[in-house]
Amino acid sequence: MTAESVAVDLEVLRYRPGEGSRLENFSVQVAKGTKVLDALDAIWATLDHSLMFRRACHHSSCGACAMRINGRERLACVTQVAEAAEEHQPIRVEPLHNLPVVGDLVVDVAGFFARMTASDLVITRSAEPELPVSVDPLPASLSLRQVVVPEDLDRFIRFESCIECGICVSVCPSMAADDGFLGPAALAGIHRTREATGDATESAHLLALADGDGGVWRCHSSFECTASCPQAVDPAGRIMSLRGQILARRWGRMWGR
Amino acid sequence: MSAPHVVVIGAGSTGSATAHDLALRGLRVTVVERGEVASGTSGRNHCLLHSGGRYCVTDQDSARECIAEARILDRIMPDILERNGGLFVALNESDLAFKDRFMEGCEACGISAREIPIQTALKMEPFLNPAALAAVEVPDGVFEPFHFCLAFLATAKANGAVVRTYTEVMELVTEGRTVTGVGVRDHRSGVSSTIGADMVVNAAGPWAGKIAAMAALAVPITPTPGVMVTMDSRLNNMVLNRLNRPSDGDIIVPQRATSIIGTTSWVVEDPDLIPIPVEHVAQMLASGRELVPAVGQVRVRATVAVARPLVTRAQADSRDVSRTFECFDHSADGLEGLVTISGGKTTSSRAMAQRAADVVCAKLAITAPCTTQTTPLASYRSFYQ
Amino acid sequence: MKVAEEAAPGLRRPSRWLDLRGRHEGAWAYALNRLTAIGLIAYLYVHLGVLSLLAHGPSTWNSFLATTKAPFFTALDAVVLLGVLFHSLNGIRVVLTGVGVAVRWHRLLFRSLMALAAILFLVAGLLWSIRG
Repeated sequence: MTAESVAVDLEVLRYRPGEGSRLENFSVQVAKGTKVLDALDAIWATLDHSLMFRRACHHSSCGACAMRINGRERLACVTQVAEAAEEHQPIRVEPLHNLPVVGDLVVDVAGFFARMTASDLVITRSAEPELPVSVDPLPASLSLRQVVVPEDLDRFIRFESCIECGICVSVCPSMAADDGFLGPAALAGIHRTREATGDATESAHLLALADGDGGVWRCHSSFECTASCPQAVDPAGRIMSLRGQILARRWGRMWGR
Repeated sequence: MSAPHVVVIGAGSTGSATAHDLALRGLRVTVVERGEVASGTSGRNHCLLHSGGRYCVTDQDSARECIAEARILDRIMPDILERNGGLFVALNESDLAFKDRFMEGCEACGISAREIPIQTALKMEPFLNPAALAAVEVPDGVFEPFHFCLAFLATAKANGAVVRTYTEVMELVTEGRTVTGVGVRDHRSGVSSTIGADMVVNAAGPWAGKIAAMAALAVPITPTPGVMVTMDSRLNNMVLNRLNRPSDGDIIVPQRATSIIGTTSWVVEDPDLIPIPVEHVAQMLASGRELVPAVGQVRVRATVAVARPLVTRAQADSRDVSRTFECFDHSADGLEGLVTISGGKTTSSRAMAQRAADVVCAKLAITAPCTTQTTPLASYRSFYQ
Repeated sequence: MKVAEEAAPGLRRPSRWLDLRGRHEGAWAYALNRLTAIGLIAYLYVHLGVLSLLAHGPSTWNSFLATTKAPFFTALDAVVLLGVLFHSLNGIRVVLTGVGVAVRWHRLLFRSLMALAAILFLVAGLLWSIRG
């Protein structure tokens, strides 16, 4: 038995290099409770195989399906169709800002990934000693519980919260105005790497990068990244914390420490 | 003379690993994929890096393959794995009765398994059902499916392979009884063209049957979906399995900040669009609560259904189909130039690629050996460069 | 780290930071800060131009002063004052959060400073009307 099906209307930005862009309307039947990504899957499967959009995990872990839904950056895989349809009819789906569009909803993430590489962010890190872990607020009925790591494992590990979806880059006004900016995700990555690494040279190199030309001083405190991050990474908070670390180091140097 | 050209259809885990293997052996490789990398079955994965424990009683070939491959992946892609181990947990008498067979199975397959006191298990996994009767630890793990495919393809690209995403195969081009290329439509440009090939590898997963049908061939591959329910919190560090024969909803795979309950199994005709049966979701939540009662306290973040490409043999129940893989050289069907590789699991994709590449190389008289066991992969981030 | 240049939707455009659909206080503050900055610089040049009238002798200056009594100029003054208040008070927010102060409460800080801007504006209006 499948869930009751509902009709959903979408207007999707279609674009091909050299052809300009237009909004195309689609109407598909989807099961109740479906996500916007499922609706795009349905358009692709039943109406138009030429619709280009990125997708992989369908459960907010891979970061591929970040797009603008009714003008707001979200992961299509966890955005309810019903909710989006209530905001705007038809649901408007457009590619991320501040990244070159390859076609339709697909953006070129090469520059973004190059910045992530520069941040030295490794996706696997030691996990917190408590469970549960969540990017959403936990229900009051669930309290954190201590975890004991078995003797023959030196630690439990976990993939980083940042899924490199590009939403923070799309919402950042500094990114929109400034080509050389490393951007929220990479700077948050630098902060995270410095938290986790024991390597002083790497740490110093990363702080210099954050203090450098494309670094933290290009951020203009709009905090849009933190407001939009689907994974609670808090890039803005991390950028401000990096600034504090940079200032502390300069202050120390001033006094010969 | 330049190296032979191989076209690989599909940029899921199998196609990606096959492209990597062939590129390492010095062949010219073009991967064609109709969507994004891992946009089919591979992306919507349960993320389980199998130790083989799950199959050590019912399907020992698969189990041996899993443990061998898990060790290799640990060497070649350590950065995209969470190696936290797994627990097989007994919740009732029937589970307890299965324990000895499980331990024997693990031993027979070379999987290191040890029973741990239930109090210890509860300290490691504080949300595990406190009424659990026994727990066995095995070297299970978790991977990041999208990065898994990207890493293989990034390495293949570094070795000269060309990856064409959003490029859909419309036909197999044949001359007489030999496949000489693929007719594709590039969705970026809308242009249809032919890509010539000395050999074509069909790695289209549950869609492999559709590709084979383009040459009027049949392959015994059954698209067999499973439902997974992703919770919005991570309630376990290790993979939690029910200590019994594989069945529906008997496993909770943690990944990043989520726990994913899986899975069910049924058969569909068309894997493009799979409606999710609501009772399967309810069933996952109910059996998830048996292993981890707190599943009832957190919200569902996503429900996913995707088709496994199971190779069908004689058995009727999809649960009893072996999870190992098969490579079909279609010269046996009287058609040269086409090889289909299917079945298996993401954990075994490197081994599947090795088998497919061995078959391809033998037919093309290439003698270079497989070196994927020892070649570390490039960063997934370098794929888009 | 330049991204590939291509005339495509979604590519960086100078006006992109003005697109405030779906945005929160921070992006509004960013856009207004830029607009007021441009406005204040323009005002500075106009101001210098006006001052240069002094070089043309007392009569030119006096006749100019007479024209500034018109309500239009009062409205212009109010706009300049609003721009100055917004730009300086938002500047305080940017400096404070930028060195790690009140990062968690940046929204409250923004709203409080804007409330302060409104109060100062009203006070200025009151003073202006009393002085008449």
